[in-house]
Amino acid sequence: MHLRLAFPLLPLTAVAVLAGCASPGAGAAPTPPATTAAAAVAVDNCGTPVTFPAAPSRVLTIKSTSTEMLLALGLGDRIVGTAFQDGPLPENLAADGASLVSVADQVPTEEAVLGLEPDLVYAGWESNFSADGAGERDELQSLGIATYVSPAACKEPEYKPKKLTWDSIFGEIREVGDIFRVPEQAEKVVAAQQAELATVAPDAEGRTALWWSSGDDTPYVGAGTGAPQLILDTLGLTNIAGDVQDTWTPLGWESIVAADPDVIVLVDASWNTADSKIATLQTDPATKNLSAVKNSRYLLVPFPASEAGVRSADATVDLAAQLADLS
Amino acid sequence: MTATEEAAGPGVTGATRALAALRGSRLTLAGVGLLGVVLLGASIAVAVTIGPADIGVGEVFRSLSSHLGIGSTPLSALRDGIVWELRLPRLLTAAAVGAGLALSGAVMQAITRNALADPYLLGLSSGASLGAVAVLLLGVGLLLPVAAFLGAMLALLATLALARSAGAITPARTVLAGVAVSSLAAAITSLVIFWTATGDSYREILGWLLGSLAGARWPAVAIAVVALAVVGVPLLAGARVLDAFAFGDTSAAALGVNVPGVRWTLLGGTALLTGAMVSVSGSIGFVGLVLPHAVRLLTGPGHRALLPLSALAGAIFLVWADTAARSLFDPRELPVGVVTAILGAPVFALLLARRTRT
Repeated sequence: MHLRLAFPLLPLTAVAVLAGCASPGAGAAPTPPATTAAAAVAVDNCGTPVTFPAAPSRVLTIKSTSTEMLLALGLGDRIVGTAFQDGPLPENLAADGASLVSVADQVPTEEAVLGLEPDLVYAGWESNFSADGAGERDELQSLGIATYVSPAACKEPEYKPKKLTWDSIFGEIREVGDIFRVPEQAEKVVAAQQAELATVAPDAEGRTALWWSSGDDTPYVGAGTGAPQLILDTLGLTNIAGDVQDTWTPLGWESIVAADPDVIVLVDASWNTADSKIATLQTDPATKNLSAVKNSRYLLVPFPASEAGVRSADATVDLAAQLADLS
Repeated sequence: MTATEEAAGPGVTGATRALAALRGSRLTLAGVGLLGVVLLGASIAVAVTIGPADIGVGEVFRSLSSHLGIGSTPLSALRDGIVWELRLPRLLTAAAVGAGLALSGAVMQAITRNALADPYLLGLSSGASLGAVAVLLLGVGLLLPVAAFLGAMLALLATLALARSAGAITPARTVLAGVAVSSLAAAITSLVIFWTATGDSYREILGWLLGSLAGARWPAVAIAVVALAVVGVPLLAGARVLDAFAFGDTSAAALGVNVPGVRWTLLGGTALLTGAMVSVSGSIGFVGLVLPHAVRLLTGPGHRALLPLSALAGAIFLVWADTAARSLFDPRELPVGVVTAILGAPVFALLLARRTRT
């Protein structure tokens, strides 16, 4: 009888493991790399010390944010494989990334990682490094494979930032630039993003917004400390879930209907498309009277752009243009 | 959530007193049942005024009365929607699902003569989960409740076929067949999740596996209430037969019970009821396992009292558990299965401890 109870828990275990990869990207301001002389670059990455005696030349990227970061820095030729990509590359990187080889649709196993003989595994989420994922960081490093996690996604309390800022994102760009010995390129990207963001004028009407990532019964929405909050702040929109001290959070429909957001940002993911979200909003008797729904005030953002990274600035500019078109 | 506690407090102690009175002074079952119905009605009436949205009691009842056609001016469409399209259908679904699961659990414990039996014994929740995963992750083009129900029924058929393949259906064989089917369905569900979950798509399935009433609207109310009325109420009539079962198959046969026929009928009815409930709420745990035991402690083993009172207790329990799930961590929401498990697990552990000692 005890056995019987154990089995139904299996799917939950599976989910729990995946849930470990939850809350995509909170942003820690990455610690500046301590460059020793001209040789090694040493970084403290989410609490794991990593040393780069030379610029990595064989990189496995896990999740879209890491792939896009390297492409943006002109380092596409260093990528020997990509894994667990969240969606297609943005237009400006698509040509550079056309020849990339995807080695796994999900997180690759440690053996698959070792088989590629990378000198760096660059992951979007800390949880991608685990015994049943790409391998523990310590173990990979003892085998001579450096590991790096997008600092915005650090989970340790000292490394997970109170609130993601543009400086956290620029910090990652610069840190990766240092690791690959292309600091000028990193500065160029940062400067371009700063110029781009300077063109974004905050919403004149100071409207409220909901950032709906996924989930139909209980929406999973952007909360007060992650990339959604940063982008909404930059757009001059007030996040109705901004008081929740987390990167993302489940938010009940009742709270959403009560707040009646002026604008709804819909994350477009292959598993939960913006169209399906709009259909839900329009047919659910509780939400069809929301002012954003009645006036079709939707902003769309592709899922890979909704996580903190090199694409966040472009996403913000794109959303600003959509916002301007609404009114 | 002081409002929740204040409201739950008198209800729970009142029920305890009344049930104790039933044992002591032989208060009629009808009296306690009536009290339970009143408590359930009161629970729903109080819970409908509780929630993350700031809506006054007066407004809530204005919304309800305007829909019930007792006149008065309706609220704005949005505020009215919160009460009439979100809170009320969710509460009614919670009540029907709670009643259905507790009733199914009580019946299942009786026919298998197994204190640890629950409504999901025959692989129903694993089968339903597989159906839900097929829709949520594999994109099978069915409505989620339909797929979940079909999954539950397939699992049931597989379990019964397996139990029967070795001859007559005995409790032990049924339980073991359920183990086999559950573990297979659960393993396939895990496989699908591992294989296909991308980005944050696992969240939806997580909510479903834990059991959630967040998606309950009027169609869910219709499914749950109709299932309870059509399948649940006739199950109540099986109480006397279940009393006979308590003494074993041979004694039951000696008392004139057609053992295999009754077992088939009751298993089928319970499974149908559970399948309908799971299809609207996901697999909410512990209600069907723990509440019949709690009620049995108060009423004794007779099924004539146990079945209806378990149903009422399950309804009241789930109404409050779901109210806690949606309002305790305002504005965040928990899947209600987490709340029932947090409350149910310690009780379950106590029962286990008692069993091993005696």
